[in-house]
Amino acid sequence: MADTETLALAETLGDQEHQAAYIFDPAAEAPVSDRPAKRRMIPKKHAVQPEKPKEKHARRFQPLLNGLESSECLQLRQDAFLKSWSRVQDRIDGVLRETNQSTLEAVTGFINECTVQRTDSRIPSALIITGANMASQSLLFGQLSDSLQARARAKVVLLRSGDASNLKAALRRIILEVVANPSDAGEEQDLSLDNDGKRYLNYDFEALRSHLAHHPSPHVIVAFQDSEAFETGLLTDLILLFSSWLDRIPFKLLFGVATSVELFQARLLKSTCQLLYGRQFDVEQADTIVEKIFKTAVAHVDAPLRIGPVSLQMVLDRQRDQAAGVPIFVSSLKYAYMCHFYTNPFSILLADNAPQVALRSEHLEVVRSLSSFRSHVEASLRDKAVSHVQSLLDDDDYLNRQVQEQLESSRSWARRSLRTLQILMCRPGQASTFTQLYVDLLTQGVDGLDQLSDLVSSMRRMDPAEMMSLLNQIVAIIKDGDGSIGLEGCEGESGPSVALLSGIVTEIQTLCREAEEAGRTLRSEYSGQNKIMRTTVIAQKSYTRLVDTIIEYMEALLQCERAEDVWLHEAWLYDFKTPYREVFMPRPRSVVQRALLRPHDYLACSCCKSSKEQIMPTLPATAILYHLYLETGSLINVADLWTAFFGIVSEDEADGLDERTALVMFYRAMSEMRVLGFVKPSRKKVDHIAKLAWL
Amino acid sequence: MAPRRKADAPEPAKAAPVRQSTRKRAAAKTEEPTNEAADDDKAAQPSPAKRPRGRPTAASKLQNGASQKKSIYDVPSDDDAVGGEGRSNKDKDKAEQAHVGDEEEVEQVATTPKRKVKTTTSPVKASGTKNIITPSRATRFTGGETPQWRRNDRSARKKSARALIERMVAGDASDEDEQEELAQEIYDSSQDEDEEEEELGEGAEGRVQEIDESEAAAASPSKKPRGRQKKETALKQKGRARKKSPTPPRDLPPYELYFAQNRPGAAKTSSNTLASLELLTHEEYFSLLHQHKEHHAGDIEYLQSWHTESFPQWSFELSEGFSICLYGYGSKRPLLHKFAKFLYDETPDHQTSKIVIINGYVRSTSIREMLGTIASAVDPSHRLPAGNPSVMLDSLKALLSSHDIDITVIINSVDAVPLRRAGTQTILAQLASHPQIQLICSADTPDFSLLWDSGVRSAFNFVFHDCTTFAPFTVEIDVVDDVHELLGRKARRVGGKEGVTYVLRSLPENAKNLFRLLVTEVLMAIDDEGAVEEFICSSEMAFRTLLKEFHDHQMITSRKDVLGTELLSLPFRREELEAILEDLMA
Repeated sequence: MADTETLALAETLGDQEHQAAYIFDPAAEAPVSDRPAKRRMIPKKHAVQPEKPKEKHARRFQPLLNGLESSECLQLRQDAFLKSWSRVQDRIDGVLRETNQSTLEAVTGFINECTVQRTDSRIPSALIITGANMASQSLLFGQLSDSLQARARAKVVLLRSGDASNLKAALRRIILEVVANPSDAGEEQDLSLDNDGKRYLNYDFEALRSHLAHHPSPHVIVAFQDSEAFETGLLTDLILLFSSWLDRIPFKLLFGVATSVELFQARLLKSTCQLLYGRQFDVEQADTIVEKIFKTAVAHVDAPLRIGPVSLQMVLDRQRDQAAGVPIFVSSLKYAYMCHFYTNPFSILLADNAPQVALRSEHLEVVRSLSSFRSHVEASLRDKAVSHVQSLLDDDDYLNRQVQEQLESSRSWARRSLRTLQILMCRPGQASTFTQLYVDLLTQGVDGLDQLSDLVSSMRRMDPAEMMSLLNQIVAIIKDGDGSIGLEGCEGESGPSVALLSGIVTEIQTLCREAEEAGRTLRSEYSGQNKIMRTTVIAQKSYTRLVDTIIEYMEALLQCERAEDVWLHEAWLYDFKTPYREVFMPRPRSVVQRALLRPHDYLACSCCKSSKEQIMPTLPATAILYHLYLETGSLINVADLWTAFFGIVSEDEADGLDERTALVMFYRAMSEMRVLGFVKPSRKKVDHIAKLAWL
Repeated sequence: MAPRRKADAPEPAKAAPVRQSTRKRAAAKTEEPTNEAADDDKAAQPSPAKRPRGRPTAASKLQNGASQKKSIYDVPSDDDAVGGEGRSNKDKDKAEQAHVGDEEEVEQVATTPKRKVKTTTSPVKASGTKNIITPSRATRFTGGETPQWRRNDRSARKKSARALIERMVAGDASDEDEQEELAQEIYDSSQDEDEEEEELGEGAEGRVQEIDESEAAAASPSKKPRGRQKKETALKQKGRARKKSPTPPRDLPPYELYFAQNRPGAAKTSSNTLASLELLTHEEYFSLLHQHKEHHAGDIEYLQSWHTESFPQWSFELSEGFSICLYGYGSKRPLLHKFAKFLYDETPDHQTSKIVIINGYVRSTSIREMLGTIASAVDPSHRLPAGNPSVMLDSLKALLSSHDIDITVIINSVDAVPLRRAGTQTILAQLASHPQIQLICSADTPDFSLLWDSGVRSAFNFVFHDCTTFAPFTVEIDVVDDVHELLGRKARRVGGKEGVTYVLRSLPENAKNLFRLLVTEVLMAIDDEGAVEEFICSSEMAFRTLLKEFHDHQMITSRKDVLGTELLSLPFRREELEAILEDLMA
């Protein structure tokens, strides 16, 4: 119906809009008529092409600061993004490699070992307990396939339940995958044709056997990625077939099991199970991986961008609500990075060579309007640092230097908060996860945390042994840091504190020994006196003094303001709700509903703004129909709907539509309602349609 | 809400004489109660076509007030909604036009149509044969009977009501208890009304408002003659439903609404049909559409330009390995096409980055064709081996990795029917996860996210953008056919007689002859054997080509019977066939 293209908005696309698929090429659009000729031209050009330098990341970023941003800054920002993210990405990749490493090795070992000791005509099968997270399954199986191909010279066929609906399809796919394995992609094979010229059906394992005769491989591994989703009958049939061909084709099986081996076994017949020689492999669950990634990419001291608590909480909620896998988590983080560098002009400060970058006057103007700048100035004024404030406001160079200094302070803030976090984590009875504690810490700062007061009060009640182990842990944290979050030991800067704590530990030890010798128990005044126990007053007094010292010290040590209170946090803290929720957790239903209920929200037109839920005749036809639709029951009489519709659109004397035009609009609206999935044909009554959606 | 709309419409001031005249009409009408009997199977909803009869005269502010009150308390039901809208139609002529059509429909439903009755325009007699049980009440309003007398009459009415329900509403409200209740209702409310009537009979104009209100309270969404109401059993049912829960909450949450509207017997709609309305043909649709000036065009344009500003952001997101899904109301095809242009202009090198556009809404769209097109974008000389889509995908991936090329795949309507199969979406997701493929798609339905399970969705790696455009779906939807299909009319073929003529005009002479032959054969078959519409044909090659042509235009349909004999049929009504034949002979 190319002749029917009418509306103003519609592009003149010729016939292409009715083609299922085409290559978009406006340059060649004029002479569309002769397509084959055009196609023949391309290979020649293509041959010339590779010489051209590749500019993949041409210019994606847009100038900020109302377009005032200079192109160098823009470039810097873009580079800063690429560098920062690639660093984070590398670290995440490292974690991912490591996490599955042990599983991969174990499985590969199992497969290799099974060749040596032939397992009395049973099929070696690795049952891999992946957990319920489907999204991370494919990652694992991809890695498995790679590693098995590389290290066991195996031919691996990945089967998903969707790929193989019946036995024939499954067999065909297995054979095709093995034969067309990329390892020997160079050769051209006709699978149906044997070298002897014999023809095989494409689901006949004989074809596979003859292929393997020419391309020997020690293992043919068939991996059932989501074994639960396979039909039991299909699985049984396949296993039977594998088993009967086992003497000619070295089959090995991998099963991804989301539930448990017992359930997997219960699904199969006993006789089928006996054909398998299985071993169970446990995979690290997605939650643990996410936690690891969190530590290395989010909480890490070197993380270029600090993701704020609001954003983090949303990311974590989404992980939980959508049962999202590791890749989703990673892309959530990536999107936060993208947003920050794309929209924040100060993100150039995160570039590697930031110290050499002097902010320009347009940046500095914006710095002076930041809320953190204002609170910094107010704080300085309270401290009577008037000249400092004066210079900040007037002297661009001074401000520039201050900004640079401040950047370094962000790292020290990170270090401080992470150390606090680590110490809080070794609190006895610590229940919340690292992730959750991190989010809490960022939200409230350490002062607002319950955990801190918990720690203090539990320390008071601790007996010396507990106290000593806690102190030893804390000393270890201060001394050695934590590699997983990039927290290096900081003996240098807080050396005396380590000494102090170790001193206290030895003192407690002495007190304990003395008390033991005296046959008494050492405890502080704070510990509950529920059990009558006698203790030497002197020892108690000195222990109490020690406890007080520790607590005083801890309170001094565990100092960490909220990220938002740090001056210039705007440059390195990303904490926004808005793009994330819309972009990753869309609510298409309410969006469509809103568009149809209140088109004014989108169109911003003057005509459709009605006071109360009145249906304005000027509304788009579909919106009118939708309003009417909301008031209908489950069965809708189209004749009445039309009468009602016409009543509305013809209402306006001046602008009212005549009947036929109204009918055109009605048709259009009806067809759109159908496309939107709101109505469907009904056979119950003549000219009736059925309601499908209750929004 | 419809009733509210009605209240907004300016109405002539009320005058008592006018009122009286309606009453007379009403009385006249009750003398032939059979009309209502025929109406009863239309369930609770009074037809909008009927209403205008009383309305132009009886419409009043007071009445408005009454119905406004009613709207507050009434169950949110489609009957009111749809019917109420009808009332706001001020165009009397049109309403009456519709009215006539409606009566025709009544006749059809009652299956006792008599031509002469129709010409007398007394719908009452038309269905007079229908209701045998109803006692005559020609004299009911004329005399001042004793209460006892009336009561007897009422009990008769009660019985008749029951019989009516059993006959008419059998399936919907068959519960015995319900009927008992219903009978009680009839009894009670008719008593009330009789009292009111007496008062009115004294000529107390001041009472009129009260009566109106009580009527409205009985959930009669329209101005109804009073006597009639007594027989409107279904109407009473509504009244009862309302009394059970006098103030149903106005804004039910969707799930509550679902259950409220799907409870047994809840779906009461009128029996109005579109019989009187001449449906649109393609030609009329498009010519009218062409003339019609969309007064929101400027706003829609602006909205689109607003989305256009996000193009750099989208392109950034695509380049970072995300797929984009645009959702929201309105066609996003023009927007995506603009985006394609934007990308095209942005890329310096058109050999190493290409754009493939896939139109999901095209009915013939298949995953094979999509993959094939992408492969030909990578290397025009390469032909993907046909076969299992997943195998094709694998070879496409191999092809991609051997070429230094980036492909941006733009999918219009990723949730369109042809692409809804789970297998297709899995392939698309795998395609999207390939590093050399960037995918941006649009989704039209509000429920599109159900297409993807978590695995597929994570492979897509989507970011979503609200792109409500309000742009009309010009090519995505075949509006006329879609609506006709929705209405259960024949669709998916050339538009009736005109379409056939149109197609035949462009075909050679012997094609016309063949089609004429076909039509004649079929018509003869109809005449001879009644219902059999097919005829068997033995085939020859040239003959087949012609038939193929007809088939392509859906002028004929074919199917194979159990023996493998091919049967051809013409998807037209007899009248149409005759008209076509006439045309062909001319």
